[in-house]
Amino acid sequence: MTALRVAGLAAVCLAATPAFALEQGEHRFNGFGTVGFTHLGGEDDGRSYGIQGQTNDSWRGDQLSKFGAQLSYGITDTLGVTVQATAKAQQDEWKANLEWAYLSLQANDQLMLRAGRLRSPVYMYSESLDVGYSYPWLRLPDEVYSQVQLTNYEGIDAVYTVPLSYGSVTLQLAGGQAKNRDYYAYDEQFDIDYGNLFGASISLATNDFGTLRIGYVEADIKTDITGNVISILPVPFGPGIGVAEQRSLLALDKSKGKFTSIGYQYDNGTWISSNEWTSRLIENDGMEAIDSFYLMGGRRFGDLLPHVTYAQLDDNGGRQSSWTLGLNYQATPTVVVKGEYKRVDTKNGFDGVFTRNAQELYENEVFERTGMAGTPARNYDGDIVSVGVDFVF
Amino acid sequence: MKASTRILCGAALVGMVTLAQAEVAVIVNPAAAKAPSQSDVANIFLGKDKSMKGVDQAGWTPAKEAFYAGVTSKNESQLKSYWSGLIFTGKGQPLPSVADDAAVVAKVAAEADAIGYVDSSAVNGSVKVLFTLP
Repeated sequence: MTALRVAGLAAVCLAATPAFALEQGEHRFNGFGTVGFTHLGGEDDGRSYGIQGQTNDSWRGDQLSKFGAQLSYGITDTLGVTVQATAKAQQDEWKANLEWAYLSLQANDQLMLRAGRLRSPVYMYSESLDVGYSYPWLRLPDEVYSQVQLTNYEGIDAVYTVPLSYGSVTLQLAGGQAKNRDYYAYDEQFDIDYGNLFGASISLATNDFGTLRIGYVEADIKTDITGNVISILPVPFGPGIGVAEQRSLLALDKSKGKFTSIGYQYDNGTWISSNEWTSRLIENDGMEAIDSFYLMGGRRFGDLLPHVTYAQLDDNGGRQSSWTLGLNYQATPTVVVKGEYKRVDTKNGFDGVFTRNAQELYENEVFERTGMAGTPARNYDGDIVSVGVDFVF
Repeated sequence: MKASTRILCGAALVGMVTLAQAEVAVIVNPAAAKAPSQSDVANIFLGKDKSMKGVDQAGWTPAKEAFYAGVTSKNESQLKSYWSGLIFTGKGQPLPSVADDAAVVAKVAAEADAIGYVDSSAVNGSVKVLFTLP
């Protein structure tokens, strides 16, 4: 029997292409990337838009372009190590990031335990956030994907998958922390700490009726967002016109932030749909919950996929809404060429995902308080055009 | 066109027709402990059910196309996209793959918990056919 087994294995090894299973001593290398360019039209010169504020009135490649590589290695048949590094632009600077570095243990057929630096399981697309190939857009709906900027944390998680006759159900529990992360607000980067991070999600994948995911994440948030402004108020109403002043815009000391996401995806090869609703609440920030959602539908015609998306962000009375029209071309099974047009509008003096700097925020607040000095908060609108290519290998 | 070339082309065409008409057989080891249903096989080959070792084929062959279309309703792009989703979320690795039908038969014959799919013409007495797909 042993001899037969060895002979069989030898035959298999001789015939095999590079092994992809992670048995002991085996490794797997994968990569992904996006080369994309985007442009904002319709707003005033220099106005920027986006999760990191890189979309403006010049054609720029740093908002959408990103590259990543991932290496997995089998230490034993059940214990593995995975690292993933990415290169992407943060605000105006390209940075290399170690997004993932973890040990994984396949405890049994259904349970996987992981420890190290992991992707934070916030949104439906959180764990493949940088892999443009994994979603239909070039630009993930900013209304939803600007809500939590945290992409990874240090901790542990457990992924439990049960096969069903009509699909599978996956339960994921995560715990850890993320200290000294960057938070983009008012055109600047600030330090932010997420302590006692806890997340849970359940995902039901069916063979015929799509995938439903419900996720919840909470953390104790500590940050101090300040802005340097030039005062427009004379003494005694302020420090005096033209005097530089540092103002605290948001100070949180271990306030609990809670984030819920409900997502649904469907793809039968012809029709495709992707939808997500999220709600973010930070205790003690004096604000109501911020709700956002998007609804997307498309149909494949051969290698072409035209699609349409509506997205909305509701933040304490302000609203941003957008329509996106896109056309994707599946050039090869691993390369997709994408083009998108997105029309964005805000109302009730809301900046939405447009960047308002500290000085503008201050002048808007002064007007709101005095009705005389300062400038009233206004609405924003823009036409965003994006073109690019997503690939994986 | 030379006569010999014409014969070769004819042979190639006959070969293609044969391939297109061939059935795909899902095979297990004769000593397999269980006989998974078609939906179990889908779960095994999509990495959701690890109770048996799925043996994949490396190249995109007509047998592979017919197997994935019939069992998982996925074409090549959808399958690539599905595995990218698992690889880059750290939730799974594609199954080990071997070069051709003969290698699948050899591996399934050698391991009691292995399961594979081959063109039905490649099936021999060392493996058991679970079911066939047109």
